Amino acid sequence: MQEPLVSFEGVAKRFGSYTAVQKMDLQIHKGEFLAIMGSSGCGKTTTLRMLAGLEAPSEGIIRLAGRPINDLPSWSRDTPMVWQSLALFPFLNVIENVEFALKMRGIGRAERRRRAEQWLDRMQIAEFASRNIGQLSGGQRQRVALARSLVVEPDILLLDEPLSALDAALKVRMQSVLKNLQRETGITFVYVTHSQSEAFSMADRVVIMSRGKIEQIGTPQEIYRTPRTRFVADFLGSSNIFPGQLQQDRSGRAAIATASGHFLLAEDAAASAMPGQSASLTVLDTRMQIHLQPPADAVNMVEARMIGEEFVGATATIYFETGAGQEIRVQKSHEELADLPLAVGRSFHLSWLPADGHLVPE
Amino acid sequence: MRRHISLYGLTFSLPLLIWQLLFFVFPLVFLVALSFWTVRNFRMEPGFDTVNWVTMYGRPVFWQAYGTTLALAAAAAALTSALAFPCAYAIAFKLSPAARRWAIFLMVIPFFTSYLVRVYSWQVFLSDAGIINVMLGWLGLGPFRLLNTVGATMVGYLTLSFPLVVLLQLFSLVFIDRTLIEAAHNMRCGRLRTVFAVVIPSARVGLVIAALFSFILCFGDFVSPIYLGGGDPTTLSILITDTTKSGQQWPRAAVIALTMIATLLVVAFLSVRFAYKGRAQ
Amino acid sequence: MNQENELNRNPLIDGALKLYVVLAYLFVFAPILASFVFSFNSDRFPSIPLGHFSTEWYRAVAADPLVWDGLRNTLLIGGVVGVVSTALGFGAAYTDYRYRFFGKQVYLALALLPPTIPVVIMGLAMLAYLSRIDLSGNALSVIIAHVVICAPFAMAVIRLRLSQMDPSLEPAAWNLGASEWATMRHVIIPFARPAILGALFITMAVSFDEFAIAWFVSGLNETLPVKVLGFLQGQVSPRINAIGTFVFVTSMTLVILAQLLLSGRGTATGKE
Repeated sequence: MQEPLVSFEGVAKRFGSYTAVQKMDLQIHKGEFLAIMGSSGCGKTTTLRMLAGLEAPSEGIIRLAGRPINDLPSWSRDTPMVWQSLALFPFLNVIENVEFALKMRGIGRAERRRRAEQWLDRMQIAEFASRNIGQLSGGQRQRVALARSLVVEPDILLLDEPLSALDAALKVRMQSVLKNLQRETGITFVYVTHSQSEAFSMADRVVIMSRGKIEQIGTPQEIYRTPRTRFVADFLGSSNIFPGQLQQDRSGRAAIATASGHFLLAEDAAASAMPGQSASLTVLDTRMQIHLQPPADAVNMVEARMIGEEFVGATATIYFETGAGQEIRVQKSHEELADLPLAVGRSFHLSWLPADGHLVPE
Repeated sequence: MRRHISLYGLTFSLPLLIWQLLFFVFPLVFLVALSFWTVRNFRMEPGFDTVNWVTMYGRPVFWQAYGTTLALAAAAAALTSALAFPCAYAIAFKLSPAARRWAIFLMVIPFFTSYLVRVYSWQVFLSDAGIINVMLGWLGLGPFRLLNTVGATMVGYLTLSFPLVVLLQLFSLVFIDRTLIEAAHNMRCGRLRTVFAVVIPSARVGLVIAALFSFILCFGDFVSPIYLGGGDPTTLSILITDTTKSGQQWPRAAVIALTMIATLLVVAFLSVRFAYKGRAQ
Repeated sequence: MNQENELNRNPLIDGALKLYVVLAYLFVFAPILASFVFSFNSDRFPSIPLGHFSTEWYRAVAADPLVWDGLRNTLLIGGVVGVVSTALGFGAAYTDYRYRFFGKQVYLALALLPPTIPVVIMGLAMLAYLSRIDLSGNALSVIIAHVVICAPFAMAVIRLRLSQMDPSLEPAAWNLGASEWATMRHVIIPFARPAILGALFITMAVSFDEFAIAWFVSGLNETLPVKVLGFLQGQVSPRINAIGTFVFVTSMTLVILAQLLLSGRGTATGKE
């Protein structure tokens, strides 16, 4: 494997007595689209700002292309950033904004203009070159901010929740603009966001952070299917979580005892399971089946009362509650639900395959 | 970001610091030293002698002037606040946003006209043959002695502090949450009661600060007491100017000035405490 | 919603309050207007009924060489005071905007307190101190004293503008390769430019009619307001109205220029 473009080695950041980022190791590879995701205060923005030289790490080393950059001031690093507020210079027009970084690098006027125009063209905003920033729409500003950062043709681009101010439709459009841009240029994107849909739809790898710690790193697929910690499962919100205790059932198979019953685990989970240990079972809400009568072949099953339903587009989410007070969500398409006499208050049987259950440590 | 001291940061922060230390703090500190100097044969001599403090504090004239100044400034602060409030209230609640902007702009203008010229202009209004007495004469009244009275001094104090007080009151009134007033009406609190039960308590900090500024301005003013009040009764500021002019008694003037600063500090401290009383800052 | 709803309005009370506002403004502007009117009035002792229109007081003032000296000094001093206090005020405003440090409260108190000290006391302290360090009695001493009073105004105006700046703007410039100095030149100063010019005009105007300190501090080089005081102490003369009107027009020109700069282009391109 080639050398990573960026590596965080034991990097931590404290503000007084508050720890924003706990000792962390992270490698960012050349040409990848990496999303760092978490709720506000999780340390994702601080991580990005340390990379940009806007915060100094309290300990550890950050390397860019193998070189330690801890002591390099912001203006001596080539780590351009797209800001949440965009931070376009309001007293400069569009093309002057894009030229700014080139001017700071001492590039001559003609050359500056030529390269800036190239990027305006590429971002399809050439016609606005001499407009004031105040005269642009949200999407146009976004493109100016991207052009301003990319005009120096960096190896890496940092993005700090750049889409958060846009409306839903524009957000989706910009997501594909960003993804295509990243593919075409091969520039490494480090994208900080609290939005799961943004991270999962664009990123090659996702880093999930919580309280200054990395909870999980993986492809969107991996993380979605097998959340590795209780936090990640909770945060993604797509899994049902059954807290309980590991044990062996009568036939010697690994199982978990929860308030809502005993459930068998997948074969591979059984190997690492220590009987007596606390853990949680997670099951994706799309992997659960709803039955009116208990099917004979079901291994993992629980009876639950329906407490509500929610329709979003083609899918429906049905909410249940077990006798033990455990809430369970099931997501299905409308066709799949067509034959079921759904009604709030009615009891159903919910089942899933052992292979669809995953263990996360408590 | 890096918090270490840099040449860059000092370039911007130091000049003002040095300037205000050299030419604001040091003069005031020097005033303290000066108050212990002595004057012999119309010449000041450095030293450490409490004679100026003893002399000044031993003079009934000084305490009379002190009482007068305190009373006048307090009366001016109360009068200005009372007269300014309906004006600020109307501008805040009864005018359209455009009219309010104009009202604010107009209230700023007096700050850029010479206070001295405005006071001179009041002489024209108030003198025995002045505008007001002429007008009263048309009605068969007067002439009244208007100039060189305490009333005239008050007119001067109002000229000095009314615009500032209106603006400060206005800024605290426009930030009141309008739903509080609607909630009061909703709970059957009438118009006038709402003003006293909701508006004034909500704007208390701003109102107290405005009154404090009025007090500070009038307490130290010497133009109105001299040119409108005729120098009688004597205020501390008049006493200072008289003391400096007569026989180089600068150390004694310093005693008066320091007593004034101490008084202002105490009043400011008490006002701010009162303004924020019962509030989590 | 800035105004009360229709239902809870009482036209009588509203009318009375508005009338009161008009009266308050009349009180505030009566001396200013009177000074203006009487500056063109022929009578030796200003009162009503008015005499005839005359510019004799302006001519009298213009014919006095001392007034011209004073005017020259006032303008010169105002210009220098404006530039110095705006520069100092800008530094302090930027320091407050950018840095957090131990003793910042004290720093801000020093930066903002001087105008609250009564001018009589400031004048006394200044004159005593400056004569001690051999700086009294010349234009320099007036400039020093005026800057102490004016720098806080400049700081307040510029600080207000900086607080409208997107806090990411400065780091964004660093991020694009601009050093701190380059960022100051290419980002902070351009952004604050309307406020800097506004502060320049406002401090010039304050210096222009600040008289009390000048009276105490200045010796030979009298400024115009000092001359005004001289008139007041001696014989009352309508000349003061002519000078007052001239000072007013000059100050207001500066203030309106400042106002235009602060409210015009500034807010149009200020915040995103």
